[in-house]
Amino acid sequence: MPEVFIDNERYEFEGDQMALQFILDLGMEVPFFCYHPSMSIPANCRQCMVKAGQYIKDQETGEYELDDDGNRKIRWFPKMQTSCALKLSDGMVIQTQETSEEAERAQKDTLEFLLINHPLDCPICDQAGECPLQIQTYKYGPEGSRFEVKKVHKPKRVQLGPRVTLDAERCINCTRCVRFADEISGSKQLTIVSRGDKNYPMTAPSETFDDPYSLNTVDICPVGALTSTDFRFKARVWEMNQTPSIDITNGKGCNIDLWTRDNEVLRITPRHNSEVNDYWMPDEGRKAFEQFNNNRVSRPSVKLDGDNHSNTSWNNAIETFAEALEAHAPQELLLIGSPHASVEENYAFNKFFNLLGASTAKFIPHLISGYGDDFLITDDQAPNTNGCRLISLEETDSAGIKTAVAEAEVVIILADDLVGREALSADDLSAKYTVSLATNKTLTTRASDLVIPITCVAEHAASYVNVDGRIQRSFPAKETKYTNRRLNLEMSEGRLDRYGTNFDNWVKEEHKIDCLPAWEFLNHLADRLGLEFQYDHSRTIFAELSDQIESLRGVTYERMDDEQGVQLPIEQNEVTQA
Amino acid sequence: MIEDWKSYEPLLIPDIPNLHKIDVYEENDGYSALRTVLNDQEKWSRTDVTNEVKAANIRGRGGAGFNAGLKWSFMPEPDDRPRYLACNGDESEPGTFKDRNIFEFNPHIFIEGALIAAYAMSVDTIYVYIRGEYIDWVHILEQAVEEAYDRGYLGKDILGKGIDIDLHVTYGAGAYICGEETGMLESLEGKRGYPRVKPPFPAQKGLWGNPTTINNIETLANVPLVINNGAEWYQSIGAEGHNGPVLYGISGHVNKPGVYEYPAGMSVEDLIYEVAGGIRGGKKLKALIPGGTSTPVLRADQLEGVSMDSNSLRDAGSMMGTAGMVVMDEDTDMVDLLWRISHFFHHESCGQCTPCREGTGWLEKVLLKIKNGEGEIKDLDLLLDVTTQMEGRTICALADAAAWPVRHTINRFRDEFEARCKKSVHAVA
Ligand SMILES: Cc1cc2nc3c(=O)[nH]c(=O)nc-3n(C[C@H](O)[C@H](O)[C@H](O)COP(=O)(O)O)c2cc1C
Ligand code: SF4
Ligand code: SF4
Ligand code: FES
Repeated sequence: MPEVFIDNERYEFEGDQMALQFILDLGMEVPFFCYHPSMSIPANCRQCMVKAGQYIKDQETGEYELDDDGNRKIRWFPKMQTSCALKLSDGMVIQTQETSEEAERAQKDTLEFLLINHPLDCPICDQAGECPLQIQTYKYGPEGSRFEVKKVHKPKRVQLGPRVTLDAERCINCTRCVRFADEISGSKQLTIVSRGDKNYPMTAPSETFDDPYSLNTVDICPVGALTSTDFRFKARVWEMNQTPSIDITNGKGCNIDLWTRDNEVLRITPRHNSEVNDYWMPDEGRKAFEQFNNNRVSRPSVKLDGDNHSNTSWNNAIETFAEALEAHAPQELLLIGSPHASVEENYAFNKFFNLLGASTAKFIPHLISGYGDDFLITDDQAPNTNGCRLISLEETDSAGIKTAVAEAEVVIILADDLVGREALSADDLSAKYTVSLATNKTLTTRASDLVIPITCVAEHAASYVNVDGRIQRSFPAKETKYTNRRLNLEMSEGRLDRYGTNFDNWVKEEHKIDCLPAWEFLNHLADRLGLEFQYDHSRTIFAELSDQIESLRGVTYERMDDEQGVQLPIEQNEVTQA
Repeated sequence: MIEDWKSYEPLLIPDIPNLHKIDVYEENDGYSALRTVLNDQEKWSRTDVTNEVKAANIRGRGGAGFNAGLKWSFMPEPDDRPRYLACNGDESEPGTFKDRNIFEFNPHIFIEGALIAAYAMSVDTIYVYIRGEYIDWVHILEQAVEEAYDRGYLGKDILGKGIDIDLHVTYGAGAYICGEETGMLESLEGKRGYPRVKPPFPAQKGLWGNPTTINNIETLANVPLVINNGAEWYQSIGAEGHNGPVLYGISGHVNKPGVYEYPAGMSVEDLIYEVAGGIRGGKKLKALIPGGTSTPVLRADQLEGVSMDSNSLRDAGSMMGTAGMVVMDEDTDMVDLLWRISHFFHHESCGQCTPCREGTGWLEKVLLKIKNGEGEIKDLDLLLDVTTQMEGRTICALADAAAWPVRHTINRFRDEFEARCKKSVHAVA
């Protein structure tokens, strides 16, 4: 196998590989800015320079030639090489900043150049704390500055599009944003304008950067030049906790991180998963932070006259619900599960009412045909349509559900705004006793007689099956009124916790939602009704499921964590069609 | 050194009225080289043409001096992809204005050369990229191209010999960087003129990813001469290792600035004092930039016995470049000069590479400070440091072209720069 020698160590390699990626894959480091593993390689930042050469081989014997001291002869390339664009070849010798003073020097020089016109406004820059320029300057940069002349001034606070704000002075011209729009999202809305040190990215005149994936440029911008208009100046990164999760705004299930502070989700960023979303996510998914924080159903409520609701105690809610159930025969109950809720919630929900004798829950896929693209936006508006199918809920459509509602006396809806998405109308429900287990206030909760607040994806550990049949799970990222984080294993597992720093204001109650995981609520209801139904944890529910369902055999939370989700043996066409 | 230059008869731009008209060009043996090749494709196979040109060693007139035939031989074997010849008429380096004369006075010799090159490399499409400021010369060339199409030298089945070659003339919008060969390719593709990372080289992946060779206009104008007279004859003109006729563009403080065609290897002295009529006002020579502003400036005392060919100029401490000679008399302010050169490179850096984008601006600003009498001695060392940090670390050679003049001008005229600096605080104390 061909070999390379990096910092005096020998490594074997196969196929076409670039030095930088190879070095990174080995767990070593060379500083870089413009390189991105999913995009073309412009080698323009010139940060990743290494010293490179080639051991000289005897043409005839194929052996390395030796000098008088018995050392292999090296032919150094005349110039420093940018490792991102340096293709490995057999017998190549590479010295990074670890072993070559020249490489170290070249990297320091480039950083000096990058900083001379940079505004150095880290104290007010959103990127500070997660800024490659800041980090690499600390690690590899020069001390102080020799630049004593006037810096270049460029446009600041430019609204590139509805969601992205540009500070051109911070830009280091790496062209990542431009390449993203050219190569990844395909909108081609950005270019670099002007020339030399006046360069900065811009849209064409009168165009706006409204690419549905525009916010990915904020993630990949290696400085604070591109910022999220929503998130700008909201929080310092080191004040936030970062929890892995799943985008629930569509069927793709993009892997994401939820960034929380004070029990509020402040931003959402994509988490790399080459099987699902690579490094990217649609802008829409990032907007979901609002629905986790705002307009939540907090405390159970009952409907008074008209559309007014009044909060009530959990005890009263359980009692009210129980009485309604006791007053009706099981055949009079209609259960509506939800592609917007997790596998575990749907399963527990269905099982609970099955125990009471009700028939299997129905669900209505939430599709908008033509809404999706061939990238990460799907026609499916819900994260778990396939999860509902997986546990064999009864799939129906709007007409089907209207008929079923008409025939029922009590309608119990799990986390689905059926009225809002016009699968049902408020009138359909007006003559029924309607119970909603819901995360957010919607037209459906407004039409419900009893509303039970349940946890959202940001507050519980649960799994979702995406349009491609991949099961992935969430971790609780924010506490509810009832979370005991020290006892709740999931939370400490998921969060890169900064608990204990001055910035972690966990104790603040005001942002905690008064809600329960759906299964937890059903536990209480079961107690009241004397049913054998008790799940201490979503893990228990999932364990039961994986015993029961063929395609979930051997699937566990641990596997989902280790393998970044598990592809289920589900037919593709079965899962993607309506 | 060339002794008998006075009897030299121009070959690239002979003194024939209306030579730019195809009738006149044809009357004077024009397109005979192309006919020679196409009429006897057995004798003049593609490889034979390439080898002849390689043997002649036409050194690229775009600045780098690379053997044209050798460059052609890097083109891969034809496959089903289109193949291109991109002719570089961007001519934007200050001091360089010689291709313009070819467009104006003998465009057909260039077209003929390009056609032979295209034949040799199995190229089907030729692009000519001309700087936008040359719009008048673009029109002249376009006229010539139209005539060549009419006479069957271009297009389908050229001269009935079964060869198809098209030629398109296009022009830039005023960017020096679009003269860098891969910047030019990007621009031809309709993109920003950002030079490309090499490898892959244009012969492998050029225009739209297809095999492409880039040659300067003057380089290609030499080709018909080689075909008509043979490599040996061509080798007999000029200096050892640097042959053929050269269009010397002489500007600056001379009495008769202009483009003069003489063999390579002319003595600098002859060119300045005889050809260009000597220094204006009888002043003394102070310095010479021999081949466009990116080539290191030489002091008058470094010019003794120096001739305009790559070896002699290398020994003297500079380069042949484009043979665009900028002559400076004793009154020239070297600080001003260097600032102006640095201003140019700062203005023209495409801005892709960090060292060039930031370095060119830094150089200019510090030079401006020194020019304004506000510099300090340490600034001179800073400038030298910055040039070292730029050189050899970028995608294209513009950063080098920006660094060299600064380094060499300061080193060669250090006194003048120091005299412009403030005394440092320590020196005063
Ligand atoms: C910044 C820069 C500008 C250049 N400008 C020109 C130009 O205007 N005309 C030109 O012929 N070559 C120019 N060159 C050189 C070309 O890159 C290339 O070497 C040349 O066109 C090749 O032709 P030749 O081999 O026939 O000389 C430039 C190079 C650099 C680095
Ligand atoms: S805005 Fe950011 S991503 Fe875009 S070129 Fe500038 S530094 Fe790179
Ligand atoms: S060296 Fe300068 S001009 Fe050349 S590609 Fe880099 S930034 Fe552009
Ligand atoms: S990462 Fe290699 S040049 Fe930018």
